Amino acid sequence: MFLINCPFCGERDQSEFSSGGEAHIVRPKQPTELSDDEWAEYLFMRKNIKGIQFERWNHVHGCRKWFNVVRDTSNDKILSVYKMGEKPPVNYK
Amino acid sequence: MLDILHPKISNINKNNIDINLSEEIIKINIRGKNKEFFTKIGKILSIILPSEPNTSSSNESYDVLWLSPDEWMIYFEENKNTNIFDQLYKDISSINLGSITDISSQLICINIKGENIFELLSSGSPFNFEKFKNNVGSSTQTLVNHIDVILHHKSKNNVNLFVRRSFSEHLYEWLVDSSNFI
Repeated sequence: MFLINCPFCGERDQSEFSSGGEAHIVRPKQPTELSDDEWAEYLFMRKNIKGIQFERWNHVHGCRKWFNVVRDTSNDKILSVYKMGEKPPVNYK
Repeated sequence: MLDILHPKISNINKNNIDINLSEEIIKINIRGKNKEFFTKIGKILSIILPSEPNTSSSNESYDVLWLSPDEWMIYFEENKNTNIFDQLYKDISSINLGSITDISSQLICINIKGENIFELLSSGSPFNFEKFKNNVGSSTQTLVNHIDVILHHKSKNNVNLFVRRSFSEHLYEWLVDSSNFI
């Protein structure tokens, strides 16, 4: 269990949140022009990094807002939290 | 079988904790973002919507709770102003300035009073009540006994708990049972 600092409500327990998987996956502009493999790559393939990962989280039992989190998956340490639409912090790239 | 419309919630006192069903309370969910929306709400309700997270604002007629940056809940006793929903709907929802939804049937208000209420709530919640209990007027959305609730610190050691109607009886039974161990 760990604490997540919701950018709207403040620090809350992880049990109030729901993980939305990898962040910053851009939907292809012309899906009809993609091959099946390229579409499957966009739709299903996700990184599973041991280390720093950019993720989407939802404060599902609170304000119900989505936001982005930079998390070190090896120790569950939250390194940064930022709102949807904001640019990811450059020092973790 | 569970009677969702009339859950079995009776007024009870255990270990100096009063648990009461507060009915009839009208609850209205309001959503909006732009300046005109805030102006209209202010004029109709004579109240400024709280912009600071986890807070509320009140006047003699209404209590308004912050739910998210663009969402609030107004609640008041049914006999106080019966046509406020129609007025809000006409001036805001019908012209797409925001969204007004009557959620009176969705939520039930359980009032909890007593010195140990925060110990009672803490025993089944991941929320840290330290700041909440020292600030009258605080509001929050969290889990109590794994059930979504909205909490409003109405006055000292007096909390209004809003829970979905279908979960209310189960949560009430948990509150009564847990108050034995506080």
